[in-house]
Amino acid sequence: MTSPARVFLRKYRWRFSGMVAWVIQRVTGLLLLFYLFLHIHTVSKLAEGPEAFNQAMATFHSPLFKLLEIGLLGTVVLHAVNGIRITLIDLGIGVEKQRHLFWFLTVGIGILIFLAGAIPMFLFAVLKV
Amino acid sequence: MYRNAVKWYVQRITGGLLLFLLAAHFWVEHFMTAPARRGDLSYQVIAARVSNPLWQAIDISFLVVALYHGLNGFREIILDYDILGRRGVKVLTAALVLVGLVWAWWGITAFRHL
Amino acid sequence: MNIRIRIARFPVQGGKTFSEFQLVLEERMTVLDALFRVQREMDSSLGFRCACRVGMCGSCAVSINRIPRLACSTLVKSLDSATVTVEPLPNLPVIKDLAVSLAPFFELWKRALPAFRPRNKESQELARIPADTLFAQLAPGKRDCITCGACYSACTITRKSGRYLGPAAINRALLRLLDPRDAADSERLAVLDKEIEGVWRCHTQFNCTATCPRGINLTDSIVRIKRALLRRGRSFQA
Repeated sequence: MTSPARVFLRKYRWRFSGMVAWVIQRVTGLLLLFYLFLHIHTVSKLAEGPEAFNQAMATFHSPLFKLLEIGLLGTVVLHAVNGIRITLIDLGIGVEKQRHLFWFLTVGIGILIFLAGAIPMFLFAVLKV
Repeated sequence: MYRNAVKWYVQRITGGLLLFLLAAHFWVEHFMTAPARRGDLSYQVIAARVSNPLWQAIDISFLVVALYHGLNGFREIILDYDILGRRGVKVLTAALVLVGLVWAWWGITAFRHL
Repeated sequence: MNIRIRIARFPVQGGKTFSEFQLVLEERMTVLDALFRVQREMDSSLGFRCACRVGMCGSCAVSINRIPRLACSTLVKSLDSATVTVEPLPNLPVIKDLAVSLAPFFELWKRALPAFRPRNKESQELARIPADTLFAQLAPGKRDCITCGACYSACTITRKSGRYLGPAAINRALLRLLDPRDAADSERLAVLDKEIEGVWRCHTQFNCTATCPRGINLTDSIVRIKRALLRRGRSFQA
């Protein structure tokens, strides 16, 4: 027989996708709150004049930060699409089919939206097409 | 009796607003102008947009909505852990309101010289 | 073929260990069968609960490979695993080995006002429940709860919150709210509307629904009450 971890993933990913969605929502939410803090910190440099602001922004020009930005897009998309799923469930839509809603909406549509944003970002900002 | 229902609505409504505001913000900062598409977001480029009071109003509204949604979400997480009594919850709420006000002020004053 | 069974032991004096046994896997062997075999042939000090053995009473709910289930209704073969780990239900105080106290579960159960409160105690007439009413349609799916505690143990919110009512209690409250013969709507809704104890703690992770041995969609029950509260009703309308 196969290892418990592998069996667990195979058998229960369908059963416990609701819990995965809950964890995702919580983790992405906290990450985004933290990001908002960093973001306002940078934007507040606008009040200190061009040099201070441009210097703060210069740290974000490296490809690493552009990739982090793409990661940020992914975090936002997950949180938003899963948030829609949760609201639908609260309203009674998809309560019998919550796993389908997770995989097709949150993951499926989420990936599509993510790619729609990430690919242009990657081409323009990272590869500088 | 209705306070919690209202909170449910506001969290979803702010979430929906954020969907729209965030998509717009993303478009503005990455696609709206040529410098944005190049990834050039220097002081001059930003100031050119933000000196317009309409953009300031939009950005500040965005911040306030995001702060409500985020801090309320944080409050929900703390409530789930049930570590505070009734008074503790009131203190937490007051603390988060204070954090939100300070944070919003921090963001709004970024525009004070523009 | 053999299976390895690991059983959590919580002796009365304290501490936690695991005891391991090798068993021959028999056809249609349930986890409860395995526990009996261990207790009768290998370690008579093993403590566990059971009663009906046919999935009706809810006494044998335990955590099997980290998921709360009824031991009598879980075929060892269906676990598809060489090692079966049996532990007491999480979120509840352990008495000994696999036996837990359901006292916290029933405390919260009582707080949801689960007992039927008739509108008209003096009535001599039969109440008529037409088949097209919501009560008639939903009740069969909601009333099968055997208070086994699996849902309460599966929920991650009850793990951290001592006051959240939990899926079983809320589901029972829904059954009463749907019942046109019951009169305690506003009292129950007042309890269910509380911020820490009530339905607002549910974040639709569906663990309860996934583990319920009776197949009740508990999350559906909880969100129905949420919707009733969102519609600002003092009387319940699903």
